[in-house]
Amino acid sequence: MLFSWDLLLTGFVDALTWSNLFWAFVGCLVGTLIGVLPGIGPSAGIAILLPMTTMIPPTSGIIMMAAIFYGAMYGGSTTAIVVNIPGEASSVPTAIDGYEMAKQGRAGAALGISAISSFVAGTLGLVGLTFFAPLLANFALAFGPPEYFALMFMALSLVISLSGRALLKGMIATSIGLLSSLIGQNPLTGAARLTFGVVDLMAGLNFISIIIGLFAVSEVMINVERAATHIYGTKIRGWMPTWAEIRQCGGTMVRSSGIGFFLGLLPGCAPAVTTFIAYDVEKRISKTPERFGKGAIEGVAAPEGANNATSSAGFVPLFAFGLPTGPALAVLMGGLMMYGLQPGPMLFQTNPQFVWAVIASMYIGNVILLVMNLPLVGFWARIALIPFPVLGPLIILCSVIGAYSIRFMLFDVWVALLFGVVGYAMRKLHFPIAPLVLATVLAQMLETSLQQSLLISQGSWLIFFNRPIAGAFMALALASIARGIWIQVRSHAPEIAIDDADV
Amino acid sequence: MRSQRKCDLAAGVFIAFLGAVVILAASQIRGDVEERLPPRTLPYVVGFMTFAGGVGLGVKAYRFRGKDPEILWPEKDGWVRIGVNLLLLALFTAFMDPLGMPITTGLYVAGAIWYMDRKRILTALLTGAGSALVVYYLFIRFLELTFPLGPLGQ
Repeated sequence: MLFSWDLLLTGFVDALTWSNLFWAFVGCLVGTLIGVLPGIGPSAGIAILLPMTTMIPPTSGIIMMAAIFYGAMYGGSTTAIVVNIPGEASSVPTAIDGYEMAKQGRAGAALGISAISSFVAGTLGLVGLTFFAPLLANFALAFGPPEYFALMFMALSLVISLSGRALLKGMIATSIGLLSSLIGQNPLTGAARLTFGVVDLMAGLNFISIIIGLFAVSEVMINVERAATHIYGTKIRGWMPTWAEIRQCGGTMVRSSGIGFFLGLLPGCAPAVTTFIAYDVEKRISKTPERFGKGAIEGVAAPEGANNATSSAGFVPLFAFGLPTGPALAVLMGGLMMYGLQPGPMLFQTNPQFVWAVIASMYIGNVILLVMNLPLVGFWARIALIPFPVLGPLIILCSVIGAYSIRFMLFDVWVALLFGVVGYAMRKLHFPIAPLVLATVLAQMLETSLQQSLLISQGSWLIFFNRPIAGAFMALALASIARGIWIQVRSHAPEIAIDDADV
Repeated sequence: MRSQRKCDLAAGVFIAFLGAVVILAASQIRGDVEERLPPRTLPYVVGFMTFAGGVGLGVKAYRFRGKDPEILWPEKDGWVRIGVNLLLLALFTAFMDPLGMPITTGLYVAGAIWYMDRKRILTALLTGAGSALVVYYLFIRFLELTFPLGPLGQ
């Protein structure tokens, strides 16, 4: 894969034709709506619209589907910020501080910084995609199952250590998350585990239902308990972030772009992982980490930036190796193949005009999304003005639709309801929720990479320490655990997560 | 039970019990023990983690002697409101198959709004009907999601 200014400029010329601009706009609009609507994620959205794109030229079709993909990343944060429903695991860190900001009457500012950070990180990610794809893709190839296992282990240990003084509760939350994911069939052997003879449990618990229950249903319960008249009592102040806040988040956006982009090159390293890591890094380097979890604007900018940079990065292995890093990109790859285009190194040689037109259209799409989303900030933030007796049942309805439409199983709605009660109890008892969520999301990948690693090493666990990249991740993870234990030993206070470290 | 210490103690006992159940269930998982990672290994590890976490939390709470923070559980009215809302949600879920998504949506939304604010009868009815129409036309007709239709599907 070679970069050339001529090819990039030709790509821009193609992407700026009226037809391609129109389809990029349609893709951005549909993607934003898909991100906001419950029950339909980017994978499903692209899959549903894929057959319709046969009516338009291939380049326009792929431009539109790519726009749906990154447009959905923009829209996904809206419900997380305004009503605390993270429709995707990647929106969970955004909900932590975004919803706190909304409760303080600053939903507009949170949505605004989310759009700006998404734009900055998405564009920086595209610069990476344009200039550094060959080099970075080669680095990503050095990642095997041991490196993935070590990376995910590090992500889990970082999040547990975020629990602050409530390390034990963080560990318990992680255990419950892992436990939820172990229910059902073993991913490699198909053996039934922890199903207690219940047929519905054979399919396992879907993590989206768990997330919806923990966040949305439990949030409604908290508001119902206190007979709230509005989801947050404070008046909305300021529809946009101030210039000072945007400047304050400048470094955050650049750092989260880097984290999101580099980790996003790895197949299987979903935005769910990169957003948590970006959030954690930002909290660790902040001079005022106590603001995180209480409405820190950097706590919104970091995960949103990482989310969009990861989305851009996902196109590197897709175009360079024909390797989709997530389900939505896998559907997009299906779209490419539908048009007779085989993603991989040859794509750049046989169809350079097509590839560079798509890449150029992403720069334009990012601008379209920013221009389209900023004026919508006020509209979304006004949702909070709806009286809670009306908004509460609508939140529950969105949650039910979201949980049901994952696998079209009523069982998933019951799971969301059960985890709503679990989430309520966890909030009341000051258990951190983030470790549970991350463990649920990562468990299957963690298990698969562990099994593959042990197959490679013929059962030796040293494989996680004698390979340099895996060893470095494991060292960081162990250091993080040691630090957490040290804090725990020194602390003589009761286990409380919410007040001092939140989730 | 408003004392954080007592709640932590109770939670610790419950979680340790949960861990013990998982360990017991893991011991009954069938699979080839000669595999590099036998199917019961991870459930065992997680079961022990849960058990140890529960015991640790219980012991820490039992030994705690400092100022005990209070947990803000709801008053009786609050419990009733939560209970009724959960019941409505459970009924919504239970009747989704026989009555179909649009009808249960309308009934649930209207019922829940009316329960939480008795003055908003018209709002409840209109929002319920509107939600049912959105579910039917947007999600079922336009997006073609396979939601149960109940009598509407016949």
